[in-house]
Amino acid sequence: MAYSVNVAIEAPIENQIQEIAYDGTEVYQQPLSMSESLSKLAAKIDFGKGQDEKEEKVSEKAEDDAAAKDPAAYQSSLWPWDSVRNKLKNALTEVCVLSDVLAIAKEKRYLVLDPVPQEAPETKAMVTVYARKKALGGAAAVLLTGAERLRTSQSEAARNRTVPDFHMELLQLRKNWRLKKVGNSIIGDVSYRTAGSKYAQSGMFEVTKAEEETTSSWSPPQSPSAGPVPPKSASALKVTLPSELQGVAYIEVHCRKDDEALFSTIVTSSALGSQGPMPDMHWQKKLEAAQNVLFCKELFAQLAKEAVQLPGPIPHMVVGNQIVASILPGIQLIIGLCHSTTTNNKKAVGPPQQKKSDHDHVLEHSIHQLLREVHHKNTHHPFPHPSSGPLGPSKQRCLAGPTAVDRHELMEMSKSKTLLEQIIEQTQHFTMRRRTEYVLDTIAKEVRDPLIISHWNSINSPTKACVKVNIMTHGYDTICRTLLVIHVGKKSLKCICRDGSVMNMSYEIQELRDLLICQIQQHQITAVQALAKCMGWQTLSNSMHLGVGEVQQMGNASSCILASPMGDRLIAVRCEPQVGTHVSVAHSPRKDFFPGQLVKERKWENLGGCFKEVRWDKMEGKNFLNKMELLMASLTSSS
Amino acid sequence: MAQPLSTAIDTAFKSNIVPDQEYLLQGSVLDKSVEVLLHRLRGLCDNVDSGPEPFQDHEMCFSIRTTPTPLNLRVRRALDHQDMPWQLRYIGQPEYGDKMRPTIIRSSIDIGCSASVVEFLTELGCRMEFEYIARGYMFRKGRMKITVSKIFKMNQNKAQDNMEPISESYLVELSVLAPRGQDAIAEDMRSFAEQLRPLVNLEKVDYKRLTHGPP
Repeated sequence: MAYSVNVAIEAPIENQIQEIAYDGTEVYQQPLSMSESLSKLAAKIDFGKGQDEKEEKVSEKAEDDAAAKDPAAYQSSLWPWDSVRNKLKNALTEVCVLSDVLAIAKEKRYLVLDPVPQEAPETKAMVTVYARKKALGGAAAVLLTGAERLRTSQSEAARNRTVPDFHMELLQLRKNWRLKKVGNSIIGDVSYRTAGSKYAQSGMFEVTKAEEETTSSWSPPQSPSAGPVPPKSASALKVTLPSELQGVAYIEVHCRKDDEALFSTIVTSSALGSQGPMPDMHWQKKLEAAQNVLFCKELFAQLAKEAVQLPGPIPHMVVGNQIVASILPGIQLIIGLCHSTTTNNKKAVGPPQQKKSDHDHVLEHSIHQLLREVHHKNTHHPFPHPSSGPLGPSKQRCLAGPTAVDRHELMEMSKSKTLLEQIIEQTQHFTMRRRTEYVLDTIAKEVRDPLIISHWNSINSPTKACVKVNIMTHGYDTICRTLLVIHVGKKSLKCICRDGSVMNMSYEIQELRDLLICQIQQHQITAVQALAKCMGWQTLSNSMHLGVGEVQQMGNASSCILASPMGDRLIAVRCEPQVGTHVSVAHSPRKDFFPGQLVKERKWENLGGCFKEVRWDKMEGKNFLNKMELLMASLTSSS
Repeated sequence: MAQPLSTAIDTAFKSNIVPDQEYLLQGSVLDKSVEVLLHRLRGLCDNVDSGPEPFQDHEMCFSIRTTPTPLNLRVRRALDHQDMPWQLRYIGQPEYGDKMRPTIIRSSIDIGCSASVVEFLTELGCRMEFEYIARGYMFRKGRMKITVSKIFKMNQNKAQDNMEPISESYLVELSVLAPRGQDAIAEDMRSFAEQLRPLVNLEKVDYKRLTHGPP
């Protein structure tokens, strides 16, 4: 202990300040000693807890008083435990009294414990009604506020829906396009490979979440005064396409006459103009455009490949984005691929396009259709019957064995036309049809006298059409009409005439024109004879191909000679395709018979005289047949 | 001029381009659950738009006694496509292989023929072992052909609409005809069969075990 070091223990200066002197010195209260603090704590014990309310109130009051006096009490009292002892003593007294009372009550001789009758609360009907009304009102209010809260939350959700949700849009995208997840990215495919395409270029695109800025810049304008702002193209999805699929593409088909300079029709992409792809286009539009680009590229690649491989008298040319194929002599087909990307879209506002209108929508459509058919064929193979047969061979091939098809037929079976060949055929037919239309229209315009009416069959195929030509005279259509049927093929025309003869013509349209003109003249002769029959005149002779007279440039002159019912008048009609008709009349017996050296007797006057040509243009009548009718009528003598 | 026919066929066989191997998986499904299977097949197979292709075939199996085992030939005709040729088919012994091999492989040679083939075979000395009618649906998935068919007993005198079925279940077959050595297709078939589980379990069915098994 001698070595012990004196350690000064000082209580922290946390004592209550008793007073502060005027000079600033603080006089602290002395801290309580251990026993003092124990007794203080003991005095705080609330022995009255658990008693009745009244008692508690009393005791509380007492305690408050005690507490109030406390600091003085423990100082003044001689023994600090005095208050505790007093309280315990009081408690003991009370417990003793209680036990005494209980003992007496148990005896039941002097004291009986009876329950105090509770006064029944008065019940008034109106009061309960009001009470219930109030309660119900409260419940209704709770329900209403709940409903209101639900409604606001729902409208909140609805408002949020216009702000696009990435996953909802992805679901929409997934409904229309092929998507798959590769690693952390979502890859889609716009190619037609699942629909039967065998084009090598891939149509992959990537789906990403759009940047937050677009959506955040979107949400603020929520002021009700501004009204509903239509969501322009706010999309939570962003579709990233490879550069070669961006933009807009289409196939353009032109038919061009050879006299224009080679490549005067430069297919450019300027027609795209302003409808070019906007960067903020909706993904559906964007993907559709990309799919179209892919399709056009496939179509053009296929056609270009075929154009190079296809042997022909005039080789087809593939230059840049154009394929030039010769259809008929002097007519060329130009197929161009136009593809404008967003980058070169700006320079497209260049030269005005004067040739834009003459591209052919029908051929463009059928060229698309041809590739679609190829796609369809690639996926739709016939099923074998019986079912154990191999998949693939066509019905024709299946039947080839049992029906003993020879090598030649098998080779024929395997042949198929390429897309280019088919489109060339369609174009040839298209050109032929247009030429035929042109010839029929011009002839109908030029030749007024017999009317030329053409009916085009509405049912036709891409390479075959049929037109019915009706030649007749106005007012005399029941007497005679000449019917022609012209089949328009790919490179030739076939005309079936009234008499059943079949004329095959080449693509040179002059042949059809000549045929029609000859037919018109023949119609006139036939009609005159039919008219003569009605008028009671007789046909003395008739020749469709007259060998006399001057040589015609084309065809032969046709003629007929008619005699009046009495036989005293003759009419000769001669039709020449180039010149027109000549009509001459003669009298029998001749009026001006003069006996000469050779013919002396009077009887020879019945031979008929020389024909005199009628000045046909001075003749009355609306048309040729009308004039003929008038002429015959005037020459018919009753006597 | 092309080479003679016999050498052309020889070269074709040598260069393995003749599809004479049939890769096959078989299973069966009860009548009451066949609709579910058909529904799933419609979804999985090609040409969802055109729907399943129905068929009704009549098959006759002929045998001729040869050493050491009799030779079986099958004649099949489509009852619902009378204009299609009949089919004469030889099916070789199935190879089951080990567990690793996904499908049965059996050689299969078929040829189209006319209706007189039955007479021809009878003249050759063949005897008809059995005949049946298979009626069901065909599906296609790439090169794979899936048939779901019910087998009916052949009854000569009765009309075709009250045919007697052999069992209360449908036969499901997944098959590919391919040239020799194209085993990659077998893996495709295995993965396709996996997609049909548990509606139908397509397996390598061993007929020998079936015939010698419990009755």
